[in-house]
Amino acid sequence: MNKLHFKVGLFAAASLLLAGAFVVYLLHARGFFEDTFHLQLAASSADGVAPGVPIVFSGIEIGRVTALGLNDDGGIVIHAEFLGRNAKWLKQDSTFTLDKPLVGGARIRVDSPDLGAPALPDHSTMLLLTSDISKEIPLLVERVKAILANVEHLTRKDGEINATLANVKTVTGRMTGEYGVLEGVLGSPEKARAVTDSLDKTRALIGKLDSLALKVDGMAGKTDQWLFAPDGVAEHTRESLAQVRLMLNDAQSSLKQADALMTNAVAISANLKDGTQDIARLRAEIDDAVRKANALVNEINRKWPFARDPEVKLP
Amino acid sequence: MNFLAASIESLGAKVAGWFSVGYGMFAFLAQAGSLLLERATWNRATFDVVVKQVYFTAVQILHVFLGYALVISWLIISIILSTARDFGLTEFASEMTIRVLVLELLPFLTALFIALRSGSAINTEVALMQVNNELDALAHCKVPPMQFEFLPRLIGGVISVVTLASLAGLLALLMGYLAIYGMNTAGFAPFTQTIAKIFDFKIMAGLLAKCALFGLAVTLIPVTAGLETPKKLFMVPVSVLRGMMRVFFAIVAIEVVSLALKYV
Repeated sequence: MNKLHFKVGLFAAASLLLAGAFVVYLLHARGFFEDTFHLQLAASSADGVAPGVPIVFSGIEIGRVTALGLNDDGGIVIHAEFLGRNAKWLKQDSTFTLDKPLVGGARIRVDSPDLGAPALPDHSTMLLLTSDISKEIPLLVERVKAILANVEHLTRKDGEINATLANVKTVTGRMTGEYGVLEGVLGSPEKARAVTDSLDKTRALIGKLDSLALKVDGMAGKTDQWLFAPDGVAEHTRESLAQVRLMLNDAQSSLKQADALMTNAVAISANLKDGTQDIARLRAEIDDAVRKANALVNEINRKWPFARDPEVKLP
Repeated sequence: MNFLAASIESLGAKVAGWFSVGYGMFAFLAQAGSLLLERATWNRATFDVVVKQVYFTAVQILHVFLGYALVISWLIISIILSTARDFGLTEFASEMTIRVLVLELLPFLTALFIALRSGSAINTEVALMQVNNELDALAHCKVPPMQFEFLPRLIGGVISVVTLASLAGLLALLMGYLAIYGMNTAGFAPFTQTIAKIFDFKIMAGLLAKCALFGLAVTLIPVTAGLETPKKLFMVPVSVLRGMMRVFFAIVAIEVVSLALKYV
């Protein structure tokens, strides 16, 4: 046996076998052994579409555009071919979209939302939608320009945002002071102290009015006894009793006013605008209430001889 | 004035030289082609020389060549893949790999490989035979050198380059698949799609023709260069030098023309 010939023979056989296998594989890859599936796509414009444009499903190429032309009505008809094995991805509810990315060539994207839908028959005609990013860019740029102009206007040197930020800075600076948010809202520690003082005083006043009311309650009980006592005090005091009711009404309205003032004081910390005016009013009304309460006590004292301390003191 | 005339004359001499070389080459090729059509050429002796030529040109160096193709393919595939990933163009990587390696680089490198190894040897051998009057002696003994020496070399060269380039290409395809999709069959469908897209009939015919032309260039040019050698021993290295330069230019020219036909 000739060794040289054997080696060359082996080389030739192996090469031929590999080449033959590759040719068969290539024929398989190019769909020589299977049917070709045809599809027509109707489009309004053939811009960017040319023979060879790939048709992709889920990012994988399943077919190509083979030809394109006009029909009798002037519409664009794009002919595409698919290998038989890829035709299963085309369903009757499939959508065909022409994608023109910024980088890379145009491609036709197939979306089949329901893979259980009936398959598309051969030689059918579908509509080609267009999603052209490059056409949307000028519109987008116009809008972005407008937005940028607005932003520029807002952030100019003496603009609203700068002024607002300066105000915010002042307010937050104050908020870090002794009286916190209240100082931030009212503008200075003195005003904030006045409010807290008033609140403290009002609290003390309410406490005293409470005890006063208890006393008045007790007095009413005693008055009751007096009224029905057999020594005729009732007649003597009937007029006075009517006056006492009036006074009690007055005291009640004063208490209501104090209550409203409390609400107002709470609202002050939330309401920046009314805050400063209300502080003065608050003080005045609290003083007024205290004065009225004092007068009430004096009056009662005058009518009844057993009162000891006639004055309500502001704390 | 004399200088101008002299330079024009030397230019004319060069152009005439190129033409005579080109003419000699094509005349030789035509002669070989016409011989191929003759029934007398297809005999056992010629076939044996062809087999021998294929053995020395392709089979003997097969393992070295495939190792070299493996390394260069692996490197270039890795470079293309990593670059494509960096630029976010991975989907084009497999196509790029196949186009660069299988269609252009590997046939070109195969031709260079054969030219350096066998082409230079053929050139030296023919030049020595010419200098030593062996060719005349063969012809005198009714052993026409064209039929038994040159034609088998041309055929062997074409067969070798086509086969080696195909083997290297198949190897590169395999390597490309493994590098992109790994050791599994998941990527078979998209890879098949890419191959189907690239290798249409025109590309395959062009690739085959290019490889055949490469094979012809790396054997025909050394043979004609050797035959041109003046009958002086010291002219043999000069003949090999000229022959190898022509082979290089021919290979580059074939590659450039093939690229131009494909992409321009």
